[in-house]
Amino acid sequence: MSIKIALAGNPNCGKTTMFNDLTGSNQFVGNWPGVTVEKKEGRLKGHKDVIITDLPGIYSLSPYTLEEVVTRNYIIHEKPDVIIDLVDGSNIERNLYLTTQLTEMGIPVVIALNMMDIVEKNGDQIDTRKLSQALGCEIIETSAIKGRGSKEAAERAIQIAREKSKTPHQHTFAEPVEQALASIEELIADRVPAESIRWFAVKLFERDEKVLAELSLPAALKSQAEDIITQCESQLDDDSESIITNERYEYIAGLISRCVRKKKTGLTTSDKIDKIVTNRWLALPIFAVVMILVYYISVSTIGDIVTNFTNDTLFGEWIAVPLESWLTAIGTQAWLIGLITEGIVGGVGAVLGFVPQMLVLFLFLCLLEDCGYMARVAFIMDRIFRRFGLSGKSFIPMLIGSGCGVPGIMASRTIEQDRDRKMTIMTTTFIPCGAKMPIVALIAGALFGGAWWVAPSAYFIGVAAVIVSGIILKKTKRFAGEPAPFVMELPAYHIPTVGNVLRGTWERGWSFIKKAGTVILLASIFVWFTKSFGMVGGSFGMVEDMDHSILAAIGSLIAPIFAPLGFGNWQSSVATVLGLVAKEEVVSVFGVLYGVAGDALEMVEQGAFGGLGSIAGHFTALSAYSFLIFNLLCAPCFAAIGAIKREMNNAGWTWFAIGYQTVFAYTVALIVYQLGLFISGGGFTLWTFVALLLLAGYLYLFFRKGYQGKQSLPVRSVKAASKA
Amino acid sequence: MPLTMASSGERNVVKKIGGKDETRRFLESLGFVEGGHVTVIADMGGNLIVNVKDTRIALSKSMANRIMI
Repeated sequence: MSIKIALAGNPNCGKTTMFNDLTGSNQFVGNWPGVTVEKKEGRLKGHKDVIITDLPGIYSLSPYTLEEVVTRNYIIHEKPDVIIDLVDGSNIERNLYLTTQLTEMGIPVVIALNMMDIVEKNGDQIDTRKLSQALGCEIIETSAIKGRGSKEAAERAIQIAREKSKTPHQHTFAEPVEQALASIEELIADRVPAESIRWFAVKLFERDEKVLAELSLPAALKSQAEDIITQCESQLDDDSESIITNERYEYIAGLISRCVRKKKTGLTTSDKIDKIVTNRWLALPIFAVVMILVYYISVSTIGDIVTNFTNDTLFGEWIAVPLESWLTAIGTQAWLIGLITEGIVGGVGAVLGFVPQMLVLFLFLCLLEDCGYMARVAFIMDRIFRRFGLSGKSFIPMLIGSGCGVPGIMASRTIEQDRDRKMTIMTTTFIPCGAKMPIVALIAGALFGGAWWVAPSAYFIGVAAVIVSGIILKKTKRFAGEPAPFVMELPAYHIPTVGNVLRGTWERGWSFIKKAGTVILLASIFVWFTKSFGMVGGSFGMVEDMDHSILAAIGSLIAPIFAPLGFGNWQSSVATVLGLVAKEEVVSVFGVLYGVAGDALEMVEQGAFGGLGSIAGHFTALSAYSFLIFNLLCAPCFAAIGAIKREMNNAGWTWFAIGYQTVFAYTVALIVYQLGLFISGGGFTLWTFVALLLLAGYLYLFFRKGYQGKQSLPVRSVKAASKA
Repeated sequence: MPLTMASSGERNVVKKIGGKDETRRFLESLGFVEGGHVTVIADMGGNLIVNVKDTRIALSKSMANRIMI
């Protein structure tokens, strides 16, 4: 018989750490609440028939965020055999709030009293025997990060599941509440499973709409229940939900006073660090210094050295050269050698060459996440982001998105409010991700002689696009309304664990490498074939002049679309479209199509801009910059579009997001190119007029008075009002 | 008075929590309950870091204004 164990608990209390420990899995653990955004399953090491589910962290079972809904639905509908409730011993009071709810659900609960190492270090004492008796469930002391106790907790959980013993809820509320609950239980006794009747009674008492809808009680029953609730409410002079909350905390407070002895401490080390890093004046400068250091080290120093090694030594000397001579030696056909060395090694190698730099960047981002600074950054940025309609929580996705858009988009899940989250998903990919950096470097190198300001301007364009979109979108009916007020638990700082940071780095880096081995490999082969073959003089075959190739034919079809942006040649069109496969493709396609002798990307990295002359010949500085803008802002690569689709979970919204990004990119590039042309003396044309019109349109959208819808009253207050 | 006016380091008792039901429920599940204690750790232009039931919670000004002490 297989056993399902669910890991539940507050955010950031160590569930994923324990999950990794128990299953030997490799999930990244971040030190900010909400790292696990969907449930993950794994098998317990040494037990083939035991499945462990890692649930997202929640504070309560009243659904407020997506994570709470996921967890609650899992427990109600999938009915795990046993729940391991992770309780953070270092803030036990708040954690037990969830415990009192879990024990009502009629599923056996084992408490893993986690972070015992911190409890001991603080000098606190917890009487687990007394606590366990009071709560009616077993308590195992654990320290997941040190691997202590996890195994015992799991073993105990299995045993309990096998015995099929129940965890009866032990806590009681004040007399009037208990009476009301008992009467509700009577009403619904034959409608819900006996073991979870308490939970349903409490939820009905709280008027939980989801549960009400699920039970679909007859009207008569409903009004009977409503009478019971209102009577209790008037007796205790509070609304039913607050009554339950207060009763829970009161019960817990009593429990804590009996079982926990806290050594009184003043400010903790974390508090002292927070006093400095979130200081009103120092917060932003400190943040700026940290980010500059991260990017300087990963892009300019270490990353550069490692990237040069992979490109020159690994792919250049160790792979490409021997491979070519070996292929020639065994008498391979010339076109096949071309395909392998130019097409595959060239295309894939160009992308892989960027992996080391990415890894260094990911390493730093993981370090920042693991130590706990990332959560503070969200807090610091909240004040600024609020001004253009986003919450500070939108900053984490964007920061992560500067490495790669896919985890960035995923990180948007921690944002509770639906419209804030959707807006973050739509704007995150405006921030140039690691794969867009080669495009920036190429344009900067080939057209601007490696001018220093091009790369920062790319980030500036990204940030400006986020801000402008934030303001414009907030004024539409879809997104109107203040961003949800910022509330976030700040984890205590801790020294990052090596294993976890490396795991996180690798997990994100691996997806890059995988991409190189799959989609980029295929795209490279596709590009090589279509550029090498075509119709010449009525017959199909290999072409000398690429302008006769299939690729040129396809590109020429698309090219007119981009003509108003200044890059209406077939090569740029092909590069832009293939950028959808992976943004790195843009550069490698350029290299191949413009017949750059050697690896274009490598030249960019080495600063050998002279070799890129053939690219420069096809662009003016203005059209190159317009090309850059379009490629930075338009729809992201397929992997990121996939992430958008998963997170939006709605085809309409996905298309809206991609459509918005592309239209925004197109119009901005058009405005910049056409007005630039006009200013530099290109004369007033129809397109200049269009550009001015578009600019006026944006200014209107930007400055107009936003949609002022009626604030919809929450259902409850409407009810209350109609009653009065 | 609203929590935003509390001085840093002082232990205060929560008197009332205002706001929409959903917001209040969330604040309550985080440990802000009437009668509970709350200490301001850091103040950043009205945005607060507070200590509630031994956890650190970051709150924006508008949220902190809903908590009366």
